[in-house]
Amino acid sequence: MKLNIEGLLVYFPYDYIYPEQYSYMLELKRTLDAKGHGVLEMPSGTGKTISLLSLIVAYQRAFPLEVTKLIYCSRTVPEIEKVVEELRKLMEFYTKETGESNNFLALALSSRKNLCIHPEVSSLRFGKEVDGKCHSLTASYIRAQHHSNPNLPVCRFYEEFDSVGRQVPLPAGIYNLDDLKAFGRRKGWCPYYLARYSILHANIVVYSYHYLLDPKIADLVSKELAKKSVVVFDEAHNIDNVCIDSMSVNITRRTLDRCQNNVDTLQNTIHKIKETDAAKLREEYRRLVEGLKEANVARETDIYLANPVLPDEILQEAVPGSIRTAEHFVGFMRRFLEYLKSRLRVQHVVQESAPQFLKDIFDKVCIDRKPLRFCAERLQSLLRTLEIADIADFSAVTLISNFATLVSTYSQGFTIIIEPFEDRTPTIANPVLHFSCMDPSIAIKPVFQRFQSVVITSGTLSPLDIYPRILDFRPVTMASFTMTLARTCLCPLIVGRGNDQVALSSKFETREDFAVIRNYGNLLLEMSAIVPDGIVAFFTSYVYMENIVASWYEQGILENIQRNKLIFIETQDAAETSMALEKYQEACENGRGAILLSVARGKVSEGIDFVHHYGRAVIMFGVPYVYTQSRILKARLEYLRDQFQIRENDFLTFDAMRHAAQCVGRAIRGKTDYGLMIFADKRYARADKRGKLPRWIQEHINDGSLNLTVDEAVQLSKHFLRQMAQPFRQEDQLGLSLLTLEQLESEEMLQKITQIAHQT
Amino acid sequence: MDEEPERAKRWEGGYERTWEVLKEDESGSLKATVEEILYQSKRKRVIESHGQVRLGMMRHLYVVIDCSRSMEDQDLKPNRLTSTLKLMEAFVDEYFDQNPISQVGIITTKNKRAEKLTDLAGNPKKHITALKKAVDTVCVGEPSLYNSLNLAIQTLKHMPGHTSREILIILSSLTTCDPANIYELIKTLKSLKVRVSVIGLSAEVRVCTVLTRETGGSYHVILDESHFKELLMLHIKPPPASSSSECSLIRMGFPQHTIASVTDQDAKPSFSMSHLDSSSGPGLSLGGYFCPQCHATYTELPVECKVCGLTLVSAPHLARSFHHLFPLQAFIESPVENLQGDRFCQACQAELKDKSVFSCPSCHSVFCVECDLFIHESLHCCPCCIYRQTAP
Repeated sequence: MKLNIEGLLVYFPYDYIYPEQYSYMLELKRTLDAKGHGVLEMPSGTGKTISLLSLIVAYQRAFPLEVTKLIYCSRTVPEIEKVVEELRKLMEFYTKETGESNNFLALALSSRKNLCIHPEVSSLRFGKEVDGKCHSLTASYIRAQHHSNPNLPVCRFYEEFDSVGRQVPLPAGIYNLDDLKAFGRRKGWCPYYLARYSILHANIVVYSYHYLLDPKIADLVSKELAKKSVVVFDEAHNIDNVCIDSMSVNITRRTLDRCQNNVDTLQNTIHKIKETDAAKLREEYRRLVEGLKEANVARETDIYLANPVLPDEILQEAVPGSIRTAEHFVGFMRRFLEYLKSRLRVQHVVQESAPQFLKDIFDKVCIDRKPLRFCAERLQSLLRTLEIADIADFSAVTLISNFATLVSTYSQGFTIIIEPFEDRTPTIANPVLHFSCMDPSIAIKPVFQRFQSVVITSGTLSPLDIYPRILDFRPVTMASFTMTLARTCLCPLIVGRGNDQVALSSKFETREDFAVIRNYGNLLLEMSAIVPDGIVAFFTSYVYMENIVASWYEQGILENIQRNKLIFIETQDAAETSMALEKYQEACENGRGAILLSVARGKVSEGIDFVHHYGRAVIMFGVPYVYTQSRILKARLEYLRDQFQIRENDFLTFDAMRHAAQCVGRAIRGKTDYGLMIFADKRYARADKRGKLPRWIQEHINDGSLNLTVDEAVQLSKHFLRQMAQPFRQEDQLGLSLLTLEQLESEEMLQKITQIAHQT
Repeated sequence: MDEEPERAKRWEGGYERTWEVLKEDESGSLKATVEEILYQSKRKRVIESHGQVRLGMMRHLYVVIDCSRSMEDQDLKPNRLTSTLKLMEAFVDEYFDQNPISQVGIITTKNKRAEKLTDLAGNPKKHITALKKAVDTVCVGEPSLYNSLNLAIQTLKHMPGHTSREILIILSSLTTCDPANIYELIKTLKSLKVRVSVIGLSAEVRVCTVLTRETGGSYHVILDESHFKELLMLHIKPPPASSSSECSLIRMGFPQHTIASVTDQDAKPSFSMSHLDSSSGPGLSLGGYFCPQCHATYTELPVECKVCGLTLVSAPHLARSFHHLFPLQAFIESPVENLQGDRFCQACQAELKDKSVFSCPSCHSVFCVECDLFIHESLHCCPCCIYRQTAP
């Protein structure tokens, strides 16, 4: 259907539209009009992706000069593929309606591992190996040597692309990863480089977060993207953690040992080169004197892993004299390494700020701040000069040099924590140096500054106002949308007591309490008897789950549960978990019924959807707080309090509730779906917790279901499940939660739609 | 209506939050919308069944009754099993009343096994006695969908092609314990054209959804006991026959009931064939129905002659199943505002309060929803039309 969104003609490829989709598009249009940033929360399964795409594509067509590009960032490869498929549907609709083929170019970009078509390279299993192997075939000096020595292997796909592909732009169309590979095979071009080259003139790019947020990758891939782009971060509820992870460095003894080996190799190579080709090193020295700027203009394929966000002025400056020659630099690295080793030899926990660290290093080994800052760049240059092909091996030394650069660049927003052992195993020495970023805005700041509109969206972003604060930006629109429903298909229940009136809670004091564990077991047992097919139960941590399950086993609860359903457990092992998941789905499919015990913040809670019968009920045992004793977290909380005036408790609760919301949100993936959401902890009943759940869940929690006993919850669930099992057809939704164009345009409906968006 | 007292005993109900059910709100609360949907489906059922379609009049129906642990649940009074068996008795009665030339068999499943309670037969009494006996069954273990379906198929696949093959499963458990992949069996069922319908007593189970969708049956979940009865009674109407089923002429016998007095010298007492296998009951009698072909005696109809295999029915039986073929036309639904004159239902004389009324297309009399349902489900003719035919 064709919609009129405040004067903009939007083609929407479906015959029906949800009211909230319309409302969402309105808000999005306002964001684009204002050329500002937006935060939008809309429940999963209400067609967020297609609303986003339809509106932005329409906007691009209407104002080609205002918005030139859409950069859509998603989390996983399957999600990326899903977006591309939606886009394809939209474009087909455009062609059908307008009768002309449009010259839109949209493509997905992923790592080499997913795009490589070289027979040998693509057969490697790990991403790192693929990257390394690819690099050893395509690096500029390898290719230069290939000219003199044709026996040296190079990648023929890259050669072909390099000689022909750059002149011919990718024909307009929609390309997912497989399409790119097929196109590459047909032409004999490398799909990865083709995609990386084509994103510069593509209208829509779909790729992973890391291509924008991780400074090491962003610099290579996304540097030249046009300023007039719209950036969308989908499923962005965890964006702050992604930012932090991309800037943090952990150094263990093993890293240092490997780094030592790297440095030794460097030393040897330098010796060798010095004997054979001293001119090369002299040439490098000359370059360094002239400044890094020139050195930075390297060819596309000379990718060395790192390039942390460096202020521009560093690139203008010349590398300081103390590390200019190769030997001096290696010596410098050795000294730095020794220093780090000595620091790791501590017996007690040390926490210090970056300036303290710098002062200490100056006192102990006389290393100045300035050469440290150039460490990363200097290493790049050296690796390039030495023509070391397999960069994968040098990840340790790269990591250390990155650390050196970061620690000397940022005096704020980072902390250094050295722990001699893990908290859980205080007898085993396993020293780790955490250089942890506490300020997510550092990594994302360039994105907000560079691009005209950045939209952060997800199913669970509540409370909305915290995101602008921790990411440090000013949105022009912030809205939360509810789900309009023809029947109430979600049933959130807060179970606060057992049948014996024991308060249920996972809080630390009652964690080991026998009565609580028994009552939790009872809840699961009762639910397993009345909920059909699949139940997903989330615990707050692996340790907690292990304790509880062991205790249930002793009490015979597990045995009773198994009479009703099979039990599967998520473990830290990815292969094991995916196996369990597969079997779980099989058991749901053939009527045996199953329970999946998993962990909030685990793989299952983030990426896996439990549609329809795969998740008829989600039980959240306890409130998934992070491990509050962790020093990194404490440091971060302190920083948040000092810099952003966010109280510790507010942040902790916010973080716990967004994970809880993520977990329970796994069960409802659309309007025809239905599911129970059971919060088994009495603390959920408190207004400060409940108020932080997304609005679309919150509005279905009525006062009667705040502090239920297990029995009451069972009765309510039984009733709910029977109601939901009654036949439900599309006609029942029409006019209420599903609209045709005529219905949408009625005055009354437009009135209603304005109430869907909840501005904050 | 007899379900009225069932509902009245609220104190017998489980832990219900009655104050919430009573809560009234216009923003589309759960109760209101679901009831609306239910009402719509009620209407739809009436309309649906009125197309001119070929109906499978000779039915072979296996009813599978779940006797697993979950049948002891007391949300139906006194428990699920007793309640189900009671309703089943009524069902069997009504079934033979409406489908005199059809047959029923009963299978129970528990403890991962399935066993036949009664074989496929056309004698209601036998089934009802078996059902009465089954009340004392101990409910243990899990049911097995696979085994019960397999057991039913063993018999059903030998039934002639012009008859309809149906299985109705009353499933209380939410889990099934199967020895093999049930999806293979579903394919077999589909190829054998067996219609499988399920009535769930607790919640929607995925495998049943697939099973019924693939085989063309229906799947319903009960809300309470009266709804259960309603759903069960849905299965009394013969289903539309699939166009691919064969057509054939069937030989039928219409035996006359002879009553001989002891004084009559010609009368020879004979054994009723239907009682041969059971040792109890009246053995020797003078009267009864005599098969026109082989002269075997039967005390009741309809039955399939054990000697010559002829289907024996009585004419009134056959006539009764006629209304399936010539159904009463659907009444026209219209909003109550359009109605001129007094707003009273022609049948029950009550005031029309609902938002829509129903009028007969031939005599234009107006009825309320309840009467509309009653006329279409029980009377099968419009009372006003008949009145007019006789009056002048």
